[in-house]
Amino acid sequence: MTYLVGIDVGGTFTDFVIVDERDRSYRAHKSPSTPADPSEGLLRGLREIAELLGLALEDFLAELSLIVHGTTVTTNAVLTGRGAGTGLLTTEGFRDVLEMRRGVRSREHLYDNTYVAPPPLVPRARRLPVPERVDAAGEVRTPLDREALARAVTQLVDDGVEALAVCFMHAYANDEHERQARAVIEELAPDLFLSVSSEVLPQVRINDRVSTTVMNSYVGPVLRRYVDRLVAGLAELGFPGLLLVLQSNGGVATPELVSRLPATTVLSGPAGGPVAGLAHARERGVSDCIVVDMGGTSYDASIVKDGEVQTTREGEIDRHPISLPMTDVHTVGAGGGSIAWLDDGGLLHLGPQSAGAHPGPAAYGRGGTEPTCTDADLVLGYLDPQYFLGGRMALRPDLAREAIERRIAQPLGLDVTAAAGAMLEVITLIMAAGTKDMAFKRGFDPRELLLVSAGGAGPLHAGMIAEELDIERVVIPRMSAVLCAFGMLLADLRHDYVRSYSRPWDQLDPAHAGDLVDRMVATGMAALEQEGIAPADRSAVGSADLRYRGQHHEVSVTFDPASLSAEGLGAIEDAFHRRHEELYGFSSRGRPMDIVSLRATTLGRRPDLRLQPAAAGDPSRLPCRTPRPVYLPSTGTMETVQVYDGDLLVPGHRIVGPAVVEAATTTLFVPERFDVLVDRSGNLIMHRKGLEEHI
Amino acid sequence: MRTDPILTSIVASRLKTIGERMGVVVERSARSPLLVEGRDFSVGIYDVDGTLVEQTEYIPVLGYATTPAMKHIAGRFAGRVAAGDVILHNDPYTGGNQLSDWRVTKPVFNAGEHVAWVVIVAHQADIGGNVPGSYNPFATDMWQEGLRITPVKLYDAGVRRDDVWDLVFGNVRLDVVADDVTAMIGACTVGERELVALLERYGIERYRTAVAGLLDAAESSARVVINGIADGVYRADWVVHDDGIDHDGRWTIRLAVTVAGDRMTFDFAGTDDQATGYINTPRAVTISAVMIAFFMVAEDELPHNDGVLRCIDVLTPEGSLVNPRFPAPTCFGNHVADQLAAVIMLALVDAVPRRVTAAWNHLLASIVSGWDERVQAPYVDILINACKGGGGATFGADGYDHIGLIGSGGAIAAQDPEMFEVVNPHLLHRFEYLPDSAGAGTWRGGLGVITELEFLDDGAQMSIFGDGDTEATTAFGILGGTSGSTNEITFTYPDGTVHRPRLKDLVSDIPRGTIYRQRAGGGGGYGHPSERPRERVHADVVNGVLSVERARELYGYEPDAPAG
Repeated sequence: MTYLVGIDVGGTFTDFVIVDERDRSYRAHKSPSTPADPSEGLLRGLREIAELLGLALEDFLAELSLIVHGTTVTTNAVLTGRGAGTGLLTTEGFRDVLEMRRGVRSREHLYDNTYVAPPPLVPRARRLPVPERVDAAGEVRTPLDREALARAVTQLVDDGVEALAVCFMHAYANDEHERQARAVIEELAPDLFLSVSSEVLPQVRINDRVSTTVMNSYVGPVLRRYVDRLVAGLAELGFPGLLLVLQSNGGVATPELVSRLPATTVLSGPAGGPVAGLAHARERGVSDCIVVDMGGTSYDASIVKDGEVQTTREGEIDRHPISLPMTDVHTVGAGGGSIAWLDDGGLLHLGPQSAGAHPGPAAYGRGGTEPTCTDADLVLGYLDPQYFLGGRMALRPDLAREAIERRIAQPLGLDVTAAAGAMLEVITLIMAAGTKDMAFKRGFDPRELLLVSAGGAGPLHAGMIAEELDIERVVIPRMSAVLCAFGMLLADLRHDYVRSYSRPWDQLDPAHAGDLVDRMVATGMAALEQEGIAPADRSAVGSADLRYRGQHHEVSVTFDPASLSAEGLGAIEDAFHRRHEELYGFSSRGRPMDIVSLRATTLGRRPDLRLQPAAAGDPSRLPCRTPRPVYLPSTGTMETVQVYDGDLLVPGHRIVGPAVVEAATTTLFVPERFDVLVDRSGNLIMHRKGLEEHI
Repeated sequence: MRTDPILTSIVASRLKTIGERMGVVVERSARSPLLVEGRDFSVGIYDVDGTLVEQTEYIPVLGYATTPAMKHIAGRFAGRVAAGDVILHNDPYTGGNQLSDWRVTKPVFNAGEHVAWVVIVAHQADIGGNVPGSYNPFATDMWQEGLRITPVKLYDAGVRRDDVWDLVFGNVRLDVVADDVTAMIGACTVGERELVALLERYGIERYRTAVAGLLDAAESSARVVINGIADGVYRADWVVHDDGIDHDGRWTIRLAVTVAGDRMTFDFAGTDDQATGYINTPRAVTISAVMIAFFMVAEDELPHNDGVLRCIDVLTPEGSLVNPRFPAPTCFGNHVADQLAAVIMLALVDAVPRRVTAAWNHLLASIVSGWDERVQAPYVDILINACKGGGGATFGADGYDHIGLIGSGGAIAAQDPEMFEVVNPHLLHRFEYLPDSAGAGTWRGGLGVITELEFLDDGAQMSIFGDGDTEATTAFGILGGTSGSTNEITFTYPDGTVHRPRLKDLVSDIPRGTIYRQRAGGGGGYGHPSERPRERVHADVVNGVLSVERARELYGYEPDAPAG
């Protein structure tokens, strides 16, 4: 067994990172995606890699010990409305909670009366009420009417649904009726994919719980079909190794376990990035960083804190809430394709509208006439029109200039360079604000953080964002263009659990709470056992959701599951006050507190890849290309700067800003206040001038 | 001052970020369900003289309603503020909009000079007065409604004035109010911190250039919108019913909108005199209602600041319903924004038929107060879930289902049904869309909701406030669309007797086991129902939100006809 592969299926490209276990070297590969059946593009990419390695596909697969796979099939199923036909069984009188979305039209559309909400995942005709009722204290008020339930199930089966979801009022407090419903359904319709709310998300707030449970059923059959086909396809070709799937929480799990809770893959797209970011932070000797990824239409920021990828439980996709833990990614509508426009008052905006890949920026010459961020980058000299995507696509500076001239420069009475410079400043600000929001939300001053920049367009703007936020160090990973795929290879196995545990904090019984946590931990440990993780590599962490009495939102505090003693409680309480202060500007020690839920996460550590440093070379001579004029934001003028070939840099190389570094997959702009050092692994460390940096 | 569009764009974007951060603090750290779940608050950044520069309104009606108060506060304390001051205000007769909507504001300094204000305005769970949670339908002057707070310093240069604090919070029933005001102060502190950093970064001169540019930009955008409306005088009137004192009383709002080039005047001359009861509408609310309708009619998003008001005049005769004289009660006035928005839309139907909306369900709501045996504590809550009816249809789109009053723009969130039962001693029997509630049309109105709940403890009291309980007063359709269904509240007591309260009413000593049933009506339809595609009518029938009988009657629908 020789190889490990990380595979990130995106909308346009499927990214691969291949590790050769013999010498611990690694390389990236990109192949076009095949959205109709993503496994096709995946297998084609593997074939291409085999060719690059001089092997037949079967021989390559026979030498492959591990594939870690991130998929967007469930994400796409939700976004395109092509999930499984699903039926919902819910408490009589509460048929529409899923669709009501609490009656909110959304903050972005306060005055837009033409706004129409995305349709619910289950239409009303397939949301069937069942007589039953449990109250907030968990007491049964109306017993479950099994006959009515059976009739409803039969009706949905006759209607041709492929999946069912059950969500009853207060089932987190008493799951008796949902368990009874499961038994009835398993009897009547054993083949349907079934999700039950007290298993998927046993916590208060039916709005979130019903949405998450329905989402699980809606994507379940889609994920199962996809994974089954992929596993069968790989088996047929003789793949002997292990397949793991990336979850939204940044951890991986076997296809079998993921298929039980498929909703956990719906927001897994960007989850690999911060995992890789963490590895880069560790290499620089720090445990916190912010990972940013700029693509064609959006900019994602996520945080690593105290050596952990930060997660949230307030995810949403197309206005469908999902309350499972997922990597906390702040997305703003700013990317290479973001369109610049002037409002009626003459103010300049960029995005959120994007030219996308088709027609794309004006410079693509595919009929786009609106000026985009990429057009500004080209006009300002950052991009070489002959060397975009390593020369695979020629850009048209004339069209870029024309678009900026007509839409921005002329109306504002500026020359094209000044107009493009202004566009750059506005988009930098949007991305910096998104980065800052994420840092603040996690209690960081962005100035303290290491910035890890990914995505094709990211490194070009990373320096300007760093200047805006007074950040001193930016890492441009060698794998920056395929960072998510790289992160997948580094991800640990992870399983999350939650139990509703609502009571005043001072009435918490440590033995009872400890027992609940222990049971969750035991379930997670059993899953890791099944996944072949050795006991020494397993670990668990507990967390408690707390709030001041009367508040409606909780703050989570983590603890060692073994520490639920009186002393441990004191530490949890302290941590809660500190975190509240950090988030909201005040804490109220002495004010009564309530605990709402207990959680546990189990982690299975995967073996360290011990990746090999980049190939050594002679760092005394820099690989220069032809110098060219680029725009310096600090002076607002075009100045000729040195251009380097990023693909020929070796550890120890030092570059003095201002400069441009061009590689096949990305371009880096080094502002005048920064220098660059190539580290041992071949990553570019862009740092404030005067800072001591060592490879 | 030289204009600089780029600098202005950038400072505008930064100010927006600051406003949003302030909002997040309130939403996440306050206690009252109204703020945390309902988001009944708004954020603003003002110039030192009380000119609105940037606002992040979570509830539209609170947005422009804050500006008159900030002008008053700026004048009242001119030259007498220090960094660390916190000022509290709620008085409708010094620029406020409703006694329940409290403003917390902090001055912002740059190099020792007072240059700006950051403010949060938020609805409070209780303000003293005769009825817990305010909304006293029997009030005949403002002192019967609650504590009147002309602007007062709660903090003096960073030090809390405990005497004032105790006075204020000693005059409200619930400790949640002090906690919510604490969260509001926290939000202002976060805003102040960020604005100080922005001022240091750009310097005061460039900041002022940018602010001037921002106001000018909003003005130009507004002029473009007005220029797109044909010149003329457009009139309409609409009636407000029941002031709590005279249940059969009617007050007519009369409006003439004059469009002349790039200026627009909203003249309420001829509107009936102010009422004895609490339906009087402070001028701050009237201005805010005008701005909501204006922003809805405008196709594109405009910056929300005082620049817009440079080309819009709002004339409100003093002593009329829409600009009452001291000390008339005004607690219901915020909700007359429903009728004000309706009358504006009605007036503009001919001028901008593709931009106006049919009427939204006119609010009928109730605020409950009582004692929760489970936790041995008093509670107050507005039944936001139950009162959110349907939105009005507009050209190209059905009305939004279960959205609530137009003054909220659909931002005020209904309680999660489980959280509602965790927080209050009520058991919901039913909370779902109300079939056959939507006004018919080429585009139908939004669906209303039906709520049934059981009181689990004895002795609760409900204050009812609203409108729209008859065919003639419910949300109207336009251009051929029909009206949404009517509002209705009933109490069924354990002995089987049924009580139907008036539009403005107080129901006390409610016994345990009583069933409260509320139908919040649907929104009005737009265009002739006969133009609605059959498959859309069919979908509503299949989904059970439109009965076959009503479908036949309103749309000529036949169930057995082939789909499509």
